[in-house]
Amino acid sequence: MPIPTLSQSIVITLIQCLLVVVFVFVVVPLTVFAERKVLGYLQQRLGSTRVASGHVGITGWMNRGMWKWGRIPVLSYWRGIPGLVADILKLILKEDVIPAKADKFVFFIAPALSMVSAVVVFAAVSFVPGVFFTFPKWFPFVGGLPVSGGIADINVGLLWILGVASVGVYGIVLAGWASNSKYPLLGGLRSAAQMVSYEVPLAISLLAPVVLSASLNFAEMSERMAVGLPFWGLVPQVLGFLIYLTCGFAETNRLPFDMPEAENELVAGFHTEYSGMKFGFFYLAEYINMTVVAALAAGFFLGGPWLLPFGLQGLLNPYLPGFLSWFGEPHAIFFAVKIIFILFTYIWVRGTIPRYRYDQVMSVAWKYLIPMALVNLLLAALVRCFAV
Amino acid sequence: MEHLLETIGRNMFAIFGVLSLCGAAFMVASRSAIHSVLGFLFTMLCIAGCFLALEAEFLGMAQILVYAGGIVVLFLFVVMLVEMSKKSGPEVFQLQSRYAVAAVLIGAAAFVGVFRKVIFGSASAEALVLRPELAQGLNVAKQNAQAVSRGLFADYLLPFEILSVILLVALVGAVVLAKTERV
Repeated sequence: MPIPTLSQSIVITLIQCLLVVVFVFVVVPLTVFAERKVLGYLQQRLGSTRVASGHVGITGWMNRGMWKWGRIPVLSYWRGIPGLVADILKLILKEDVIPAKADKFVFFIAPALSMVSAVVVFAAVSFVPGVFFTFPKWFPFVGGLPVSGGIADINVGLLWILGVASVGVYGIVLAGWASNSKYPLLGGLRSAAQMVSYEVPLAISLLAPVVLSASLNFAEMSERMAVGLPFWGLVPQVLGFLIYLTCGFAETNRLPFDMPEAENELVAGFHTEYSGMKFGFFYLAEYINMTVVAALAAGFFLGGPWLLPFGLQGLLNPYLPGFLSWFGEPHAIFFAVKIIFILFTYIWVRGTIPRYRYDQVMSVAWKYLIPMALVNLLLAALVRCFAV
Repeated sequence: MEHLLETIGRNMFAIFGVLSLCGAAFMVASRSAIHSVLGFLFTMLCIAGCFLALEAEFLGMAQILVYAGGIVVLFLFVVMLVEMSKKSGPEVFQLQSRYAVAAVLIGAAAFVGVFRKVIFGSASAEALVLRPELAQGLNVAKQNAQAVSRGLFADYLLPFEILSVILLVALVGAVVLAKTERV
């Protein structure tokens, strides 16, 4: 195995970053689309079926084309997909309004902060255990070098994830302040209180996998929780998984905890004054954060990229499509399926549970989730002490 | 190319140090309190970068988690509430500038007094290691958290616990003070 020089390893890291960004920008629009469709079906509607505005022009042409596609049974679910393109075009082309009394610098930097802190978390996530793929020999500059499954193999990766995720609150708070308007400020203050409080049970619930796996590295933790222990990591950690998921919903400001943008109380909360691509950045950051929470939940509690335990994989293998075996073990696909399932759960919960009142949100965090997370941590310590 | 990258890598600490000083200067110089908080946040992140450059990964991450993620958010919260209550304006900050200068001078004198030997003396040549036997059997670059925890929970357990009791006293005191006003 050749050892890469410094410039080669930087190029490889850039390629990994590019792959992660591609992954994010594939998953996020599909989540947005899935949200429209799934939410629609949960509420007995069809969800999005066309681009708005009529039968003329490009949109009319797209609508007619997609309507023809819709005759085919499965493809009919995808009839609304040109709407996504139209949405992105709208976000990019829309006029960028900055309120006259806004603090320009902070107003500009707030969406960037929330976007960056959402994406950077992926640095510590390992998508595939070990080597993802090796460049062929003929490849220029980095030929024959392996690309590992995660960008940075940080030995305190969990702390990196928690730390950077906690920086994300600045985006929302500063956006609320810089808009210099009533409702954004209220939304920003609410979100600061909510996110700081929910970080406590979130961190405690993630301590339980740390105790069980005796590591802080994402790859090692998911390996030990999935295959290293004599049992599957989810089994003693059902409570921890549920607590983590609840706190994750609150951290990403999703229903039933979307206090910062409760639209019937605060217009649109912290991003009321934002328009165009600056609003688009908040929108993207929210969905990237959802993906992050899903990736962590999958990695720490559902076994991450590892295959099924107890020989169940042998039962499943005959049903997997044959071309998967060309790429070796289907680790990346297993991870992606788990992430997508949790993203679906997000939408499912959004369609099912109504919003909490603000005081209820805080009391859920401090009176119920933190004691439950502590009990769960004790449980994990007992399991660690007697069963491992 | 390779040479340049290696030079940058070797001087990472200096780069982050200069950046953190820039952030600190921005924090002191800026007029708006929120801009000050932003400068402070930048400084904290750069100090975390300094720790990373020294291969103290655990400390760097704890710096981000505790300071950037926790304490500065509370600063921001308080500053936003203060600005809402009409007390803002230049006079509040200018009132204290005399005391601030005195405090900075005292702090600088104390810093020089404490670190005189480290900066100018013979100790500046060698790294400051309190008890190297603590890290025995550990690969400190790979097992940073283990090395720190061995120090905290085995060798310096009593000072650590006393410190946490002091923090608890401060917490309880803050709650008591806040409660009595409301009655």
